[in-house]
Amino acid sequence: MTSITRRGLGTDLSTRRVDDVRDLLPNVDNPSPLVRVNRVLAERDLDLYLKLEWLNPFGSIKDRTAAFLIDGLERRGLLSGRELVEASSGNTAIALAALAALSGTRLTTTIPDGVPEEKKIILRMLGAEVWETPDDLCPVDNPKDGAIALARALAASENGTRYAATRQYENEDNTAAHHETTGPEIWRQTEGRVRWFVAAYGTTGTVVGAGRYLKERNPSVRVVGVEPEPGHRLPGMKSFAEASEPLILDRSVVDHDIVVSDEEAYETTKQLWRAEALMVGPSTGAVVAAIRQIPVEPGDLVVAISADSGIKYTSYFEEILGEEGRPRI
Amino acid sequence: MSTAPITAPGGEATHLNCSGLLCPLPVYKAGLALGRLAPGELLVVTTTDPGALEDIPAMTRQRGDELVSVDRQEGIQVFTIRKGQGR
Repeated sequence: MTSITRRGLGTDLSTRRVDDVRDLLPNVDNPSPLVRVNRVLAERDLDLYLKLEWLNPFGSIKDRTAAFLIDGLERRGLLSGRELVEASSGNTAIALAALAALSGTRLTTTIPDGVPEEKKIILRMLGAEVWETPDDLCPVDNPKDGAIALARALAASENGTRYAATRQYENEDNTAAHHETTGPEIWRQTEGRVRWFVAAYGTTGTVVGAGRYLKERNPSVRVVGVEPEPGHRLPGMKSFAEASEPLILDRSVVDHDIVVSDEEAYETTKQLWRAEALMVGPSTGAVVAAIRQIPVEPGDLVVAISADSGIKYTSYFEEILGEEGRPRI
Repeated sequence: MSTAPITAPGGEATHLNCSGLLCPLPVYKAGLALGRLAPGELLVVTTTDPGALEDIPAMTRQRGDELVSVDRQEGIQVFTIRKGQGR
């Protein structure tokens, strides 16, 4: 790796010039964009805004989480000389791998084997070691959490000396990332008018952290967690009918759980691409589809999280497109 | 992954040392190692985590491999597996 030998011009976010890619990580002074959805759900009398987390430097909402997880390890003196290990459906791993490389370490990630090939290749490009893991890895217990179990086993191996585990499913630094950045950004960007906050369940850090912040500012804000059906094909999302609830899930923050089918999620994803020119990933489609089920009042302002873009899911989209878009002869 | 050729009761075998590794690491590594063998070849897996006593036989049933033998002595388990016709 080349070391840095010269000083730069200095970071100036007003001109979007940065001397270190990490200066692009989102926070209340450098928020991810909030974009109004004007056509999809036009039949509902609401103001819907999507928070475009895919414009973060490593491509997803997990940039925030990864930065806080690594900071937490460093603050507690747990990182020095060790590699990172994390179970991830891809986005956390991508952000961790990028940040790890900048910190002079590397990431080993256990990743469910249903995750798109695009993500696995991105991870390997970033220098990560990728352990593809079947969900039913443990044949006896058979929980739907093989990747999490494998990451725990790796962290405990070699007497815990080789790996530092970021443990996003149980680490309050994950929740703090959204309490300290995502939530305050939304509050400021909506001038305190946000009435509904909607995000997908995965680690649940976003729902709980940002939801908690928004409720602290205005207890009447309603928080919605969106869950897929069992056996779903929505990477990054968790169905708690088949996977364990993360330890960081604080149900007192959540007002509504909405379950969305793959079909609804992918159909809405396609609508967002074609009607809004928003090239979102499938979990965004799930989140927007869920809004159809919530009891909004006329004129309510709804903020939903668009966790990542669809660019990493083109192999999945190819399946749903079938012959669409090919020339008709 | 570190594997080495050895002689097992059923003939020449590949040895996978998973001593000190916690479940499900032995199952994961054994699965990878079996994937690299041809049908009929033997894999000997040494483990120290008692969880492997349940997990490895279950894995072999699930994969369609044959569990030839299990030897237990002083906290060590040695599994001899013959790869089946599957993956």
